[in-house]
Amino acid sequence: MTFNVTGILETPTGIGTITVSDVLWFVVIIAVGVAIAKIVSINVRRALAERLPKNERELIAKVIYYIIVIWAVIVALPYLNINLSGLLVAGGIAGLVIGFASQSVVSNLVSGLFLMFEHPIKIGDSINVAGVSGSVEDIRILSTIVKTYDGIYTRIPNEKVFTSNITNYVHNAARRFEYSISIRYEDDANEAIRLTKEVIEAHPFALKNPAPSVFVDNLGDDCLNLTARIWAPTQNWWDVRTELLWDIVKKLEENGIEMPYPQRTVWFADDLRVTGGKGEEESRI
Amino acid sequence: MFGQYYDTFRCEVGDILVETEQIDGLLTYRRRCEGRAFKRILVSETARIIINPVEPVNLPKEVTDFLQMEFTPIVIEPGAARTIYLKFPVEIGVFLESEKGIEVLDVFGTGTQKYALYGSPTSGVIVRWYRSAVYSEIPQVERFSEGVMELSIQNASHEWVEVSSVVFDSVDMKIYYGDIVATTATMKIVSPVMAETDFIDSPPIPGMARSIELYKARKIPVLDRGYLMEWGLS
Repeated sequence: MTFNVTGILETPTGIGTITVSDVLWFVVIIAVGVAIAKIVSINVRRALAERLPKNERELIAKVIYYIIVIWAVIVALPYLNINLSGLLVAGGIAGLVIGFASQSVVSNLVSGLFLMFEHPIKIGDSINVAGVSGSVEDIRILSTIVKTYDGIYTRIPNEKVFTSNITNYVHNAARRFEYSISIRYEDDANEAIRLTKEVIEAHPFALKNPAPSVFVDNLGDDCLNLTARIWAPTQNWWDVRTELLWDIVKKLEENGIEMPYPQRTVWFADDLRVTGGKGEEESRI
Repeated sequence: MFGQYYDTFRCEVGDILVETEQIDGLLTYRRRCEGRAFKRILVSETARIIINPVEPVNLPKEVTDFLQMEFTPIVIEPGAARTIYLKFPVEIGVFLESEKGIEVLDVFGTGTQKYALYGSPTSGVIVRWYRSAVYSEIPQVERFSEGVMELSIQNASHEWVEVSSVVFDSVDMKIYYGDIVATTATMKIVSPVMAETDFIDSPPIPGMARSIELYKARKIPVLDRGYLMEWGLS
């Protein structure tokens, strides 16, 4: 039995004049296009690895990927007898139908493009959006991927990201945090302020400018409350915040300034009688 | 300590120890500086190690490229120019060199570091902050912790200007070493609140060796663009 490959390739598929070979060519061109797009975008990522921030690198790689894929589709479509100029004519009605059918998809797509070019968030940023807090893992065409601080993968549609209030914790170069430090009334507040400032000064990332401020903020029931306001570089403010407090506490304790215990002074209208011990001696306070 | 080394060597200066030695048949790099230690096993056919001063913006970890020097306020009349000398912090870089390129192995330094914000939190930049006195000639410095910056200040504005700080983009920094570590820089004041700063590729003392810069070792392409101080000069 002979196997006629040419004959099989020339077999009509039943859709217009499209043959099996046309379909094969279409598939091959698309596959080659996608493969080239992947190879090129991977190499672009590698080449720009140390030269551009991750966010811009990913944006460039994605734009190149989609340009190559779209080019492959344009080259391949004529094999299916799809005339692009005809598509444009039919596009009016088809676009209307598709537009209504895929309203949310298009909305997410457009929001994704705006997000990529407006840059309210970048890959790696710590954000809070639509009630989700975490770091941005990826900004895709239709959705944004956020890894929450406890490591959970969260996909948020771009339309929701774009229309929500976005809090970007790392957008500015520096951010401030504060501590409330309680000391006893008998301790010297000026000395406590001086020691606290000394510890802050010694930390490299507690910024010199804007200068930190330490002051007596309020008089509590059992203690004096000092407030320390410190600026740190945004990218490592959390490290500074977690390191400094314990250093301040240690420094204060080394110098005899301690954290207060809750106290109550109780006044009695009459003298108190205390009884107890051998012979039930009675004493007055 | 600064210079090139092959195979195994040992450098001990004050509180700094840098060495490579064969341990159990493995070439091992070790560094100790002010109680902090660093160790790596090296696999290299050439084992060429270069130690030189680098841009002082890497310790305790890299958060910025900018360096701010604060000094005693100087009042400059319109059109005047003056060269002064400042001290800047020195960090020491250890590089591995082969035929195919250079790799940063280690960066260390003595003393403490301090950072600051130049400009506003929304659009300012984090800077490595350092305070220096102003000198009219090259001052005495601790070779492995301080360098000398020759700074030419020119007031190109039409007003008297008070200057007490200068900010540089360290990727333009050219560092030289010999008996001291040194760099040459310029500051052109264009208004009472703005100035252009840049480094010059020329040592303040002839005959000094040029350091390998970190950004070159890291193959980061940069344009020598200088820096525009637009958030004030003090």
